[in-house]
Amino acid sequence: MSTDALRTVPLDSSRTGVLSAKVVWRVFFRSFLLQASWNPQGMQNLGLAYAVYPALEELYPDVDRRAAAVRRHLTFFNTHPYLAAAMVGGVLFHEQRIARGQEGPEPVANFKAALMGPLAALGDGFFWLSLKPAAGALCAGLVPVLHAWAAVIFLAVYNAVHLPLRVRFYWLGLRLGDRVVDALAKQDLPRRGAKLRALGAASAGALAAWLAIVFGRNETGPWAPALAAGCLVLGGVSYWLVAKRATSYALLYFAALIAAVTGALLG
Amino acid sequence: MVVWSDVAFAGLLGGLLAVERRAFLQAMFSRPLVAGTGIGLVMDDLSSGLYVGLVLELFHLGSANLGAALPENDTLAATGVAAAAAGMTGGSGASTPAIWSLAILMFVGLGHAGRYIDRALERYCSRLAGRAIEAAEEGELERAVRQNVWGMWPHFFSFGLITAACGVVGFLLAPWVESLPLSLVRGLAWAYPAMASVAAAIAARGSHARRAALFAGAAAAVVIAGAALVTLQRLRL
Repeated sequence: MSTDALRTVPLDSSRTGVLSAKVVWRVFFRSFLLQASWNPQGMQNLGLAYAVYPALEELYPDVDRRAAAVRRHLTFFNTHPYLAAAMVGGVLFHEQRIARGQEGPEPVANFKAALMGPLAALGDGFFWLSLKPAAGALCAGLVPVLHAWAAVIFLAVYNAVHLPLRVRFYWLGLRLGDRVVDALAKQDLPRRGAKLRALGAASAGALAAWLAIVFGRNETGPWAPALAAGCLVLGGVSYWLVAKRATSYALLYFAALIAAVTGALLG
Repeated sequence: MVVWSDVAFAGLLGGLLAVERRAFLQAMFSRPLVAGTGIGLVMDDLSSGLYVGLVLELFHLGSANLGAALPENDTLAATGVAAAAAGMTGGSGASTPAIWSLAILMFVGLGHAGRYIDRALERYCSRLAGRAIEAAEEGELERAVRQNVWGMWPHFFSFGLITAACGVVGFLLAPWVESLPLSLVRGLAWAYPAMASVAAAIAARGSHARRAALFAGAAAAVVIAGAALVTLQRLRL
């Protein structure tokens, strides 16, 4: 991202109300601490005020105006922590306009109230329920082949998507303000998320079979095939039982008990 | 004998991962696969950390922090189980599937306990938010926004201490693990792939995919068919 691009709003006659690139980056990095004091009342309110504070210091040399700005960002705020980058950028977009006298404090409050819910749903659907399970299942499937490198690849794969998108969201919010919604819609996250979820399911299925085969092969003695076959059956039955709302802990202990007793007796 | 430097490193890393999970960045360093591997690495037992992390990654794959809902603390489960497994290995000599199973069975409930701690720490953060609003009203703006940073330290200390405690318990259990009858050790070794299979099934279900059963079943069938083909070819040779 160029320095020019970071000087978001078209420059007026004076430089008042325009953030420096240094402060824009500082706010971005402070937004990583958005959830440091997540609480049931204001949720991410403290994190948002903390993130944007350097910008408010620069935009409002007058202490009273700065205090009013801090107070308006200590109100309730909650969204997805990655998509929050777009909102933090949008808040800066509006605060610059407020500092220049181009708008009052209402638009920034409306911007937050209107977008935090939809962006939370978008981020939850794509990152938490699609990218994370897909990357996790895929890389867990690589453990029998790549060992500890699978964990490194997991981090690389996940963050190759997460970090550039987080920077891009921030930049879009900063440049476009309320129009960030259209730009985010073009990212087509829900369709991509559906594909990732299918990949996650397939990886988990492949891993279940792969582990059963590998451990069956490693087991010595005449009963080794029984271990592999038993694990495959347990996996299939567990899938069905989870669908019937059996608790995952009960299934885990039950499977361990069956396998342990069988292994102890046959061994 | 407890190796205190290993325990200290595990506690430090456990605390940092807890902060990463909740308060800072969320770049997935705190996922069970990575967290378990990291704890194994610092406790000089990569295999235990990796393989307990694998099962716990799959076991918790479908959980997510949606809105105000709190999922189980998968990071604490991973760091605690990995530290305990590495402790048992450190005390008994070899990293085995039996030790991984034992550690998982004994400490997997930490995920549940971690959720209660997370809930308690939210109340502390509520007090911080209240203090921030008061400070802002009094015009102490710097102090108001700095309250945010104080919210992450309790996570660091509480989850770091629990991880370290699990490491100590693992070391203390090592002599008992060594004295287990061979048949039970063999049974526990069989329990590991069984738990991994169940966790993978839970993961497939937790992938949130439409037609998850179809995708998971088809992929499993491809792997089984591939393994059968390879075995047949070897038998012919």
